[in-house]
Amino acid sequence: MYESPIREVLVEGGKTYTDVSNDICRPLENKATKGWWIGFIVSALVLALWIGATTYTLMTGIGTWGLNKTVGWAFDITNFVFWVGIGHAGTLISAILLLFRQKWRMSINRSAEAMTIFAVICAASFIVSHMGRPWVAYWPIPLPNAFGSLWVNFNSPLVWDVFAISTYFSVSLVFWYLGLIPDIATIRDRANTRMRKFMYNFFAMGWDGSARTWNRYELVSLILAGISTPLVLSVHSIVSMDFATSVIPGWHTTIFPPYFVAGAIFSGFGMVLTLLVIGRVVLKQEEYITMGHLDAMCKVVMLTGSMVGLAYITEFFIAAYSGVEYEQYAFINRATGPYAWAYWIMMSCNLIAPQVFWTKWARSTPWFIFVLSIIVNIGMWFERFVIIVTSLHRDYITSSWAMYTPTWVEFSILIGSFGLFFTLYFLFVRYLPTINMSEIKAILPKKQAQH
Amino acid sequence: MSMKNNNHKLILGIYDDPDKVLAATRKVRKAGFDIKDVYTPFPIHGIDKAMGIQRSRLGIAAFMFAMTGLLTAVVMMVYMSWGDDWAINIGGKPNLHIPTYIPVTFELSILFTAFGMVATFFIVSKMAHGKNPTLMDIRQTDDRIVIAVNLHSDSDNKAISDIFVNHGALEVRERESSI
Repeated sequence: MYESPIREVLVEGGKTYTDVSNDICRPLENKATKGWWIGFIVSALVLALWIGATTYTLMTGIGTWGLNKTVGWAFDITNFVFWVGIGHAGTLISAILLLFRQKWRMSINRSAEAMTIFAVICAASFIVSHMGRPWVAYWPIPLPNAFGSLWVNFNSPLVWDVFAISTYFSVSLVFWYLGLIPDIATIRDRANTRMRKFMYNFFAMGWDGSARTWNRYELVSLILAGISTPLVLSVHSIVSMDFATSVIPGWHTTIFPPYFVAGAIFSGFGMVLTLLVIGRVVLKQEEYITMGHLDAMCKVVMLTGSMVGLAYITEFFIAAYSGVEYEQYAFINRATGPYAWAYWIMMSCNLIAPQVFWTKWARSTPWFIFVLSIIVNIGMWFERFVIIVTSLHRDYITSSWAMYTPTWVEFSILIGSFGLFFTLYFLFVRYLPTINMSEIKAILPKKQAQH
Repeated sequence: MSMKNNNHKLILGIYDDPDKVLAATRKVRKAGFDIKDVYTPFPIHGIDKAMGIQRSRLGIAAFMFAMTGLLTAVVMMVYMSWGDDWAINIGGKPNLHIPTYIPVTFELSILFTAFGMVATFFIVSKMAHGKNPTLMDIRQTDDRIVIAVNLHSDSDNKAISDIFVNHGALEVRERESSI
């Protein structure tokens, strides 16, 4: 591989191939640390909250939520869009950065893809629980049935969404698993207990590192990246069409698809930073996920944050320029109405806060990056809340205006979904290599690798 | 150079440097020996050329799967919204409305491509869950690269071994192929 004399190395510390295997396998070959147990148990307790609140909703109905006739969507769809958006960074890192040959993606793509899968699981749970009659959750799938057959309405973006999210989830899972196979084989051949040998042997599918297999494998990965790129863009475009194809002022805007995609990447990178700023220290992977990686991710956050900010301002301008009274009111109400606090949280977290990443200090101070990544997550959650609730709560007719107040059930499901996410993430950290060993070995500087 | 008899001898050159492996592979192939495979813990760029592996045709398979998905989606939607069954009138919108078919068509094309291509990859690479691999060296998935050459009755073992050693092999040994 060509080694640039001026670029910083992607892996620090003069690692050899052996070191890479030892370092990355350590968290899953050693006994679980105390920190892992604490994190896992706390996550599992929060997950229990999710299970309780979701079960209560499913048993009693969505009357347990604070929805009313005017505000028919609120926390449920906010959380859904929030989690789907978080998922997008994983695909961006593994697919789009692969096509652009950004080699720094290699030490973060595995955990980002895992994040994608877990986030989509969280998102899907909100779709099912908000249905009101979850036992007929299979109705959006076009199955022959005893009503005619009465088929689904293919003109509806909600049906497109079912296809988009399920395709996205299954393709991401396949892409992730395919990337894991060579590393699972490495763990299989290092395994010293029967159980571990059996499990990893099962999932390694007989991988032996044959050059003929690698040759096909690389082509398959490239094509998967090639199709995942338009897929990830289409998924959030379709999510945005759930809103954009309606006639609600504040939703009915053509800017939604690119604006949602930028927001998804923004929030996803926020979550990747949240996980990795901590993870690289706890798992002792600072030499693999270097300050250079954090720096690059901060720049992406700054760029996409500014794109989202531009979209907020464009929306305002277009509302004014359209001359449509309802549209203008929807936006004035957002910024100055009863939910103005949510709007200004969104503006300051998403547009203003990431601008600090223009300074080198901000991009090279891990604790500060961590704080900022949390702010980004909060801001992007509020973005969806603002879009959904403020657009709905003041209808065309003043007599149907209403306010929305979430109940404890909705708060419990929201907080609990983080439990679901982190429980899965902690299991992932314990049982699978969080960094792609085979890719890292391929990019090690030549002089150091074989000593 | 297909192998008729299943069990035969192999000669292995074991390395820790991809550049040396590339040079050795080229040399072995040029000298006319029958390279079985090169086993490596990470992809080595240019090894396919050095071994004389043809470009995989999986791309063509992927395209076929994409077209299958596309056709499935279009036929399904046309049948369901236009067929003799209950055509639903929603807001007076046309039943055969191509623009609104695009998202589902696109998603199904991607879905079929991904699953079809990965399944094909597993089949042609003879991979399956729980399969026990035949490893040349236990470290070939970790930090060693193994060049395996098939030995025939007329093969000059010494010549192959010399090429391996001259190109910096850490170890040269023989074994049964037992596949």
